Amino acid sequence: MITLGIDVGNLLTKAVLLDRDSLVASAIMPTTGNVVSEIDGLVERVLSDAGVKRDDVGAVACTGSGADLAGEVDVAEDAVTCIAAAGAYYLPEINMVVDVGGQSITSVLLDEDGDVMNFMRNDKCASGSGRFLEVMSNAVGVGVEDIDSAVTGATKTVPISSQCGVFAESEVITHVNAGEEPADIVAGLCDSVASIVSAQARRFSSGDRYTLTGGVARIAAVSTRVQDKMSGTFQEFPFDPRLAACIGAALLAGLEDIDI
Amino acid sequence: MPFAGIDVGSLTAQAVLIEDGRTPMLKSIGVRLLSHSIRVKPNPLESARTVMGELLEESGIAWDDITYCVSTGYGRDKVQENGLAQANVSEISCHGSGAHALAPQVRTIIDIGGQDAKVIRVDAAGDLSNFVMNDKCAAGTGRFLEVMSRTLGVGFEDLGPLAFRARGKVELSSRCSIFAETEVLHYLQKGMDKSDLAAGITKSMADRVMALARRVGIEKEVMMTGGVAKNVAVRSELEKMLGVHMLAPSIDPQLIGAYGAAVMARRAVGSG
Repeated sequence: MITLGIDVGNLLTKAVLLDRDSLVASAIMPTTGNVVSEIDGLVERVLSDAGVKRDDVGAVACTGSGADLAGEVDVAEDAVTCIAAAGAYYLPEINMVVDVGGQSITSVLLDEDGDVMNFMRNDKCASGSGRFLEVMSNAVGVGVEDIDSAVTGATKTVPISSQCGVFAESEVITHVNAGEEPADIVAGLCDSVASIVSAQARRFSSGDRYTLTGGVARIAAVSTRVQDKMSGTFQEFPFDPRLAACIGAALLAGLEDIDI
Repeated sequence: MPFAGIDVGSLTAQAVLIEDGRTPMLKSIGVRLLSHSIRVKPNPLESARTVMGELLEESGIAWDDITYCVSTGYGRDKVQENGLAQANVSEISCHGSGAHALAPQVRTIIDIGGQDAKVIRVDAAGDLSNFVMNDKCAAGTGRFLEVMSRTLGVGFEDLGPLAFRARGKVELSSRCSIFAETEVLHYLQKGMDKSDLAAGITKSMADRVMALARRVGIEKEVMMTGGVAKNVAVRSELEKMLGVHMLAPSIDPQLIGAYGAAVMARRAVGSG
């Protein structure tokens, strides 16, 4: 069965088409305000990319903050359940998914069956989120997409002590004005994000086999630093980690067909 | 014989000179208070030197004329080590002693500065009895209002009057300054009224301060100090929430830390 997953995130809206458990097509665009037309546009794109007719889609699932705006869907699940489903299905050995999205950090502890046993989520405060990284890397004059290339030239790590995004931004500007190298400051930012993320994840001490999902997981300089700070075993999510919740939704839509 | 206080904050630095009636030429007017405020320099020592240097120049007083100087705020120890002050005292005690010197009936001081917020309790003698502070998160500090006024496209000083004129209130769902910025931008794009947004921003600010105040308790009388005390809307929202009428300081509330330091300087040489 072909299933369609839609995830309306705070910063990005995503759509995927799964043929059973294989990813056929995906599309991502920024979440603006017009969620309904964004979803329509993304759905058109994945359908035409995959050469699939709308009628051939067996089930539609939606997750994220705009789930209620997606119109009629077969499955509407919260992001935590979807992230867990995607992690547990493709990486059956793991027992924790740590998702660092645009505006949140979520650690989901899985039981032996891959179901959600417990989770922690910070979405009240930008600290350590993608937005935090974006605000601060912009203050150094480096775009989020360029963090990995910027950090390769680092010879040291400039420590960032503030956890608050607003205060950390001032701290970064102070470092820039003091003549610190952008690469060294960016290394400090990545280290700061990794510390905040791993501090949350480590509170689930039994979560010793984990994967990282969400947009921040794409940044190797952050991902490797998180791994350095965690004691458990890391496994890489097999798709674009921004799509984890969306893929999880699509998997759940085809649940009768698939044994998670 | 002037006594001096220097307060270097995160955004601004203040210098205060107080001269009491024993200065011959000032005998007729009793206590005279001179003050000056600047935007901070990259390092606290430079801020201290500049703010006090400019005040002395304006007032025609020489460095050597200062009887005793107390430094407070950011880098207060450095300011003292470099000989600009004879002693340094924490800004918490200085706000306490400054507020108490202005109004001896004060028991609670709500000090909201550029990068922190404090609720300070003092006893009848003006000595510190308890305090709570937030300097970890920009929410509930001057920085939050600064970010918000920039987002609204209005001056920092205009935010209070703007909120005061509001007929409605758009409450913010985000506490985090970074998320609130996104939220306010979104409301602006939807064409919502700026003054209604300013009222929502004020409410959010007051909610954070109240959360802090609850941890230490509020005893009457209450005075607000620090730069944010000049925001009329935040003041009035807090008065409503606390159910008290706050004391109005007779000097600029942003000067009270430096004034308290000068009061401590006078006390240190035993003339106060």
